[in-house]
Amino acid sequence: MMAECTINDNIDESDSDYSDEDFETYYHPMEYGDSEENHNPVDAEDPELFPVECLTMEQVEMFLNEAVNSVCHILNINMSLAKLFLLFNNWDVEKIISGYKLDITSFLISSRVLPTLQSQQQSANIDDNDCQCEQQQPGSGNIINDNVFICPVCTCSSLKSLGLCLECQHTFCTECWTTYVEVKISEGQSTEITCMAQNCNLLLQEVIALKLPISSYLKLQYQHFAFHNYVISHPLLRFCVGPNCNVIFKAKQSLAKRIVCPQCKSVFCFKCGDSYHAPTDCATIKNWLTKCADDSETANYFSAHTKDCPNCNICIEKNGGCNHMQCYKCRHDFCWMCLGDWKGHGSEYYECSRYKENSETANESAKARAALRKYLHYYERWQNHAKSLKLEEKTLEKIKDRINQKVMNGSGTWIDWQYLLDAAALLAKCRYTLQYTYPYAYYMNNESKNLFEYQQAQLEAEIENLSWKVERAETTDRGDLENQMYIAEKRRKTLLKDFFQT
Amino acid sequence: MANIASQRIKREFKEVIRSEEVARCSIKVELLDDNYSQLKGEIAGPPDTPYEGGKFLLEIKVPETYPFNPPKVKFLTKVWHPNISSVTGAICLDILKDQWAAAMTLRTVLLSLQALMASPEPDDPQDAVVARQYKGFPEIFISTAEHWTNIYAGGSRKKEEYSKKIERLMGIGCNMDQALVALSGCNWDLDKAIEQIFG
Ligand SMILES: [Zn+2]
Ligand SMILES: [Zn+2]
Ligand SMILES: [Zn+2]
Ligand SMILES: [Zn+2]
Ligand SMILES: [Zn+2]
Ligand SMILES: [Zn+2]
Repeated sequence: MMAECTINDNIDESDSDYSDEDFETYYHPMEYGDSEENHNPVDAEDPELFPVECLTMEQVEMFLNEAVNSVCHILNINMSLAKLFLLFNNWDVEKIISGYKLDITSFLISSRVLPTLQSQQQSANIDDNDCQCEQQQPGSGNIINDNVFICPVCTCSSLKSLGLCLECQHTFCTECWTTYVEVKISEGQSTEITCMAQNCNLLLQEVIALKLPISSYLKLQYQHFAFHNYVISHPLLRFCVGPNCNVIFKAKQSLAKRIVCPQCKSVFCFKCGDSYHAPTDCATIKNWLTKCADDSETANYFSAHTKDCPNCNICIEKNGGCNHMQCYKCRHDFCWMCLGDWKGHGSEYYECSRYKENSETANESAKARAALRKYLHYYERWQNHAKSLKLEEKTLEKIKDRINQKVMNGSGTWIDWQYLLDAAALLAKCRYTLQYTYPYAYYMNNESKNLFEYQQAQLEAEIENLSWKVERAETTDRGDLENQMYIAEKRRKTLLKDFFQT
Repeated sequence: MANIASQRIKREFKEVIRSEEVARCSIKVELLDDNYSQLKGEIAGPPDTPYEGGKFLLEIKVPETYPFNPPKVKFLTKVWHPNISSVTGAICLDILKDQWAAAMTLRTVLLSLQALMASPEPDDPQDAVVARQYKGFPEIFISTAEHWTNIYAGGSRKKEEYSKKIERLMGIGCNMDQALVALSGCNWDLDKAIEQIFG
């Protein structure tokens, strides 16, 4: 057949389309022979393409210091102050320079280096009315004579020369500052430590904190926590989310793209650090997950594992990931999601995945019911694909066992059967994206919703075809399977190209 | 107990004793042990609130790291208030958490608690049931809080209707605290309260 040849030719050319990621990124790490990671031509049109660098702590420090040095140099300020500016301005050097040059005083106030004009006035008033009846009251730092003051924290009098204050003039003795900073560092604080006075939010700069006589261990801790704060505040840096993984990623732009940690194999979104969620954006997926957690009780009922065959009513348990069900008794083919006849479902899949808005929303309680029904429509599909992903993981295990047996029986090598594993990996990748199209559709509210749901249905149909074929891999023709892989991945990429705006 | 902590508390203790609020019988502190780590506080219910006329006892625990960390404070006297747990007496107040400053004192804490009693913050509740009533049924909230003040803190305002309903529940085997909590939480709907206790 001509058509088939063309498609197969395409597959050979764009092999990398589906093998550029091995399935380790979707399943737990496991070794299965060499993936073809090394000879990928880069597809510049790939909507998921996102070049990142993996940096060590030292490299990150160098990268951060570049920004610190340029701020120091241009504004002629010390490093500690430059770091503070950067920390509170998303490391945007230009914004800092223009803000600083525009109005130094208000820039210093908003950076919590200078007190607000309001509190400057207040402390001036305290000094004016400094009468003896309010003596020794903690909180006001009273001055007994020109050389001695009473520290409001420990209530001891000491020499003014031994006191220490920030720009707010709230003076405390060095001993109190030291103990205070020690307590805060041992609670995990660093750059966020403030002045000790009531209602004063001025920040204790790094340079002042580290000059205090605190132990060298705590100084190291301070630097460690501060480094952590610098990295999380930087839009182009992201710690790997894997437990005990020290990799730090650096990107050219802060986008909601997929990161795969080369060290611990964690997969996550660069921008928010949560599980990768294309085509949905960071804020939407957050809302969705909160909603799912809040509504879990109502929704649980619907995520049952069994359904009745629509033809003979026998109870069928879903044990594979494919939504194309075949009743073991009457052999009726039907769809798990809508219980419709599978015959002709290919073309009508659109009807199955699309939620039909109902216009009978007259009164409030009907509206509430309609809202719940709408949510459950999307939630059920979201859950169902998550479950399918899990079940298909088991299918993969079975495939591996069977390949092992074949190889031991001398029928082919691992390389000959590699395509089966590639198919399973691709299936996981497609189904994962499909799962995340449901929150996207749930919150979608514009003209393009029809187009989106059309593409979603197309993707869904091809994924189910692929799943069906993967589960029956041995009886499926290799060319047929590879066709299906190509089509499914093409649908996935098309949907992402059209709707994944990062 | 750390040096700064006990030194500070000693000092503050005197400060409160000598303060004009004590003179007006508005706040009070008492030492419970020799090393100044446990104190008992007392605040008067602020005037023109449902707590007026009541005396509210507080448990105050002073941590080793005081005054760099806030004292741990909770109500010993039962109180009906959105930011205070009606069951445990736990308090939701920013200066007892992340807004604490080392220069604050026991006196600031007690006065802040009095201010909290006078102006609840139902959007940051400690007790969700109370907060819901405060927002949805403000009149019931006021009379309920008054009734609690009467029973537990010596206030003078109470509702006969409420007392009768409590007696009814006590007549069928509930203790007083149980009856009061259930009725207050159900906006004094007797059937609902019975269902909640026995259902
Ligand atoms: Zn001091
Ligand atoms: Zn200050
Ligand atoms: Zn990692
Ligand atoms: Zn994200
Ligand atoms: Zn059947
Ligand atoms: Zn269907």
